[in-house]
Amino acid sequence: MADLQIINVSKSYGAVEVLRDVNLSIASGEFVVFVGPSGCGKSTLLRMVSGLEEAPVGEIRLEGKVVNRVDPAKRGVAMVFQSYALYPHMTAFQNMAFSLTMAREPKALIKEKVGRAAAILRLEKLLDRRPGELSGGQKQRVAIGRAIVREPKVFLFDEPLSNLDTELRVQMRAELIQLHANLGTTMIYVTHDQVEAMTLADKMVVMNGGIIQQHGTPLGLYDDPDNKFVAGFIGSPKMNFIKAKVEAVRADAITLSDLGGRSRLELPFRNFDAGIREVELGVRTEHINIAQDTGATDILAARVAFVEELGDVTFIHTDLSTGERLVVRSSKARHRGSTECFVKLDPAGVLLFGTNGERIRSA
Amino acid sequence: MLDKKHVPHLLMVFPFLALFAVFFLYPIVSGFVYSFYDWNATTTSRFVGLANYQRVIHSRDFSKAMWNLGSYIVITVPVGIAVAFCLALLVESFKGFWQNFFRSIFFMPVVLPMFLAATIWRWIYTPNIGLLNTIRGLFGLPSVQFLNDTSTMLYSLIAVDIWVSAGFNMVIILAGMKNIPRHYYEAARLDGASKLQEILYITIPMLYPVLFFVTTYGVISALQVFDTPWLLTGSSFSQYGGRQNALLFPVMDMMGRGFGELKFGQAAAYGFILTTVIVSVTAVMFALRKKGHQP
Amino acid sequence: MTTDVGLIRSAAPNYALDLSIWTVLKWTVAICVAIVAVFPIVWMVNVVFAEPGVPVSINPRLLPTSLSAGIAKINTILSETGYLHAYYISITYSLLTIAGVLLFGSMAAFEFALFEFPGKRPMFAIVMLSLMVPTAVTLIPTYLLTANLGWLNTMQGLVVPGLASAFGLFMLIQFMRTIPREMIEAARLDGASHFQIYRHIALPMSRNALVTLAILTFMQTWGNFIWPLIVAPSPQMYTVGQVVGLFNAPFSHVTVDIVMAANLLAALPPLIFFLLFQRKIVEGIAMSGSKG
Repeated sequence: MADLQIINVSKSYGAVEVLRDVNLSIASGEFVVFVGPSGCGKSTLLRMVSGLEEAPVGEIRLEGKVVNRVDPAKRGVAMVFQSYALYPHMTAFQNMAFSLTMAREPKALIKEKVGRAAAILRLEKLLDRRPGELSGGQKQRVAIGRAIVREPKVFLFDEPLSNLDTELRVQMRAELIQLHANLGTTMIYVTHDQVEAMTLADKMVVMNGGIIQQHGTPLGLYDDPDNKFVAGFIGSPKMNFIKAKVEAVRADAITLSDLGGRSRLELPFRNFDAGIREVELGVRTEHINIAQDTGATDILAARVAFVEELGDVTFIHTDLSTGERLVVRSSKARHRGSTECFVKLDPAGVLLFGTNGERIRSA
Repeated sequence: MLDKKHVPHLLMVFPFLALFAVFFLYPIVSGFVYSFYDWNATTTSRFVGLANYQRVIHSRDFSKAMWNLGSYIVITVPVGIAVAFCLALLVESFKGFWQNFFRSIFFMPVVLPMFLAATIWRWIYTPNIGLLNTIRGLFGLPSVQFLNDTSTMLYSLIAVDIWVSAGFNMVIILAGMKNIPRHYYEAARLDGASKLQEILYITIPMLYPVLFFVTTYGVISALQVFDTPWLLTGSSFSQYGGRQNALLFPVMDMMGRGFGELKFGQAAAYGFILTTVIVSVTAVMFALRKKGHQP
Repeated sequence: MTTDVGLIRSAAPNYALDLSIWTVLKWTVAICVAIVAVFPIVWMVNVVFAEPGVPVSINPRLLPTSLSAGIAKINTILSETGYLHAYYISITYSLLTIAGVLLFGSMAAFEFALFEFPGKRPMFAIVMLSLMVPTAVTLIPTYLLTANLGWLNTMQGLVVPGLASAFGLFMLIQFMRTIPREMIEAARLDGASHFQIYRHIALPMSRNALVTLAILTFMQTWGNFIWPLIVAPSPQMYTVGQVVGLFNAPFSHVTVDIVMAANLLAALPPLIFFLLFQRKIVEGIAMSGSKG
C-alpha cells in the first residue's frame, strides 16, 4: 500500500529532452497505466520510479519520502520486464526466490513465500522447470511471481504483454486485473497499446514528447480529451479530424463552414471566443452517419476509398474533396460497392480543437 | 572527481588492466626504448640512435629471412585457404553423424601441440628410413633429404604448416557456410544453377567476410612464423634456419640475435621492424577490403 | 503418353548413377584426407606399441602390435627421465593460467560488455589494438621484465605474464554482450550487489563461453613452446614441451620408438581433451573466427 508523487521531474540525455516537467500523483492501490507512442518517455518515467534510471531533476516521493537517491533494491518496488528477464540458468523456483536468497532469508521462509506466490499464479507444478522449458505465458507468470515474492509497495510493469500472442494477451490482461483485485497494491503499467491501457487502468496517463498530455479515467479521456493528441491516440479507429472555418458566433451556438470543402454545421456552444476564425473538428466514427443527399448544407459528399467489413460492423474509409480522410462506422448497412456516399455529423459528438491542437471547450 | 558509483566497475577491471599494462604495454614501450640502445647482458647500455635498425636491415640474414618469408607467405596462405575451403565443402556435403565425424578428424592436427607435430613430421621426413622415403623406396625412387636439401626445404615446411592449420581454417569457413541462408541456394536451384555455379556465385561471395578474416589472420600469423621452422631445423639458439639458412625466418632471426648472441637492442629493433611490416600489411589488407566492398 | 513414361523411366536410373559416382568420389576423398590427417598420430602410436628393433616405418602396419612393449617404453621414460616432473610443471602451468585468464578476463569482460564507466572506450580500444601486435615484439622485453622481477625459472614467471589475454577478454565480451540488460536490472532490483550480479548472473550465464575459453587456453598453454623455453631454461622447470624437445634434439642418441613414446605422452592430454570436448572446441574456434 503506497502512494506515489512525481514532482517536477525532467530528464534529458545530452541535448535530447526525454521528460519535461512531469507532475503526477498516484493514490495507494491505484492501477495506473502510462500510455503513448514509442519514445514518448513513458518507459523512462517508469524506470525512474524503479530507480534503474536516475532522476536528477525533480522529486519522486514514495509514501511521502523522497526516494531519488534510494537504491532501486531498497525502494520497495518490483518490476516485470517486457522480455521477462528470467535468469535462464535457474529454475522457476530459484528465479522467484532470488531476491530472498540475496537477502539471506531463511530457507523455510523462502519456501513459504515462493509457495504462496506460486499458488496465486497457479505455478505450483512448474517450479522445477527452467525458463527454457516454459511457454511465453508461463514465463510471464514466473516473472510476475518473482515480483510478488518481494511484497513490493509498488508493482511496475514495462510492456509485459507485448511478447505474447493476441489471445494470450487478452487472457493475461484478465489475470492482471484479478491479481490487482487480490493484492490491492499500487501498480504502474507501461504500454503503447491504448486498448490494453483502456481495459486495465483505473487512471490512464497519456504521454507524448516527454510531456503528460492528460490523465484520468479511460472513459473520461475517451469522451473528453484535452487535446488533439489524446483524442487521436485513444479509440480505434482513430478519431476523424476535419478543418473548418468559423462563420458565425452566437451566445449558445456557432456556425462552422467549409467542412469538407463546402458544407456547414450548426453546433451548440457557450461562450465561444469570437477571435478564433479556424478550428478543427474531431468526430469519432460512431458519430458520423451515412445520410441521403437531401441537398441540406450539413450533408458532406465523400468518395469511398475502401471498406473494412468486419461482420458486426463496417468501417467505410472515405475521402472528402479537401483530401481529408473520414472513417464512418456503420453497424447495420452492408457496403454494396458504391463509390460515392453522403454523410452527416452528429453535433453531440463533435469536439472542437484550435489550430494549436488544444481543445476548445464549451463553457 | 570520480563518481562513487563507478568504483565497483573500475575495481572489477583493475586486475586485468594492471596485468595488461605491466606485461603488455610496458614491454612494448621498453622494447621501443631498448631498440635505440646497444644493450646486452654484460655491458652497460649505450644510446646508439638508429644503429640497431640499420644493422638489422643491412644484415645478410635479414634479407635472407625476408626473402624466405615472402616466398613462404605467397604459397602458404592461398594454398592453405584453398585446401581449407575444399575441406569445408567436402565436410558440408555430408550430413549428420558423418559431417561431425569428418569435421573432427580433419580438425585433429590442430589439437596437437606444435612441437609434437613438428617432431612427428621430422621423423616422417627422415632420409632413408623415414616414412616418406620408405614409400618412395617402394616405388624405386631415391631417398630425398627433405629437410636438408635447399630445393625441398621450403615445400616441406609448407606441407607441415598446411597440415596443421587447414583444420582450423576449415572450421571457421564451415561456420560461415552454415550462416548462409538456405533460401539463396533454393533460389539458385530454381534458376537452374549447377553445383559449381552455386559455389562460385553464392558460397564464395557470401563467405567474403569469413574468407577475409581467414586470409588476414593467415597472413598475420604467417608473418610471425616461428615454431615450425625452428623445430624442423636445429631448434637451438646455436643452430637454426637449416642448411644455407633456407628455413630462416624473421622471428627466428630476431630470437637468435636476442637469446643466441645476447644482442637485445638489435632484437628489439628487429621486433619493431617486424611490427611495422605486420601493421602495414594488415592496413593494406583492410584498405583493399574496403575498396572491394564499395558497390 | 507412353513416351513420357519412357522418358521418366530412363531418366531416373541415370540420376541415381550420377549420384552414386559423386558419393563414391566424395567418400574416397574424405577418407583419404582423414588418413592424411590422422596418420602421423596413428603412426606415432604404432611406433610406440611395437616390439623394439622392428622399424615400423619400413613395415607400416595399421594396428599396434605389442601393448606390453609400449608400456615398457613409457615406463622407461617415466622412470628414467624427468618426464613426470615436467608433466607436473606443465599441468600446474596450464591450470594456473586457465584460472587466471578466466577470472580476470571474466571480471573485465563483465564490465566492458554490460556497463558504462569513465575511460571504458579508450581502455577497450587499447586492449583490442593489442590483438594486432605480434607476440614477437613483446617477447624479448617481457622476458627482460620477468628477468628483472627475478622470476626466471619460477612458476609465476611462466604464468603471470600470460594472464592478461586480450583474446580471452574479446571472446568473453562478445559472449556477455548477449546477456540482456534487463536481466542485469532485474537482478539489481532483486537486491543483488554488483559483485553478486557478476557471480550469480553473468558467470553462470557465460558458462559455455568460459568452458570453451578454458579448453582453448589449455591447448594453447600446453602447446606453448617458446615462452617456457626462454623464461624457464632450468631443468627443474622443464615443461613437457621442453623435455620432448630434448628427446628430439638431433644427437640425443635415443631410438625413434622412445622418442615417439615421449611424444605420445605429451600429446595425450590435448587429445583426450579434444575427444571429450570436441564440439565445444570446434564451436569456440568457429565463434571467435566468424565474429572477428
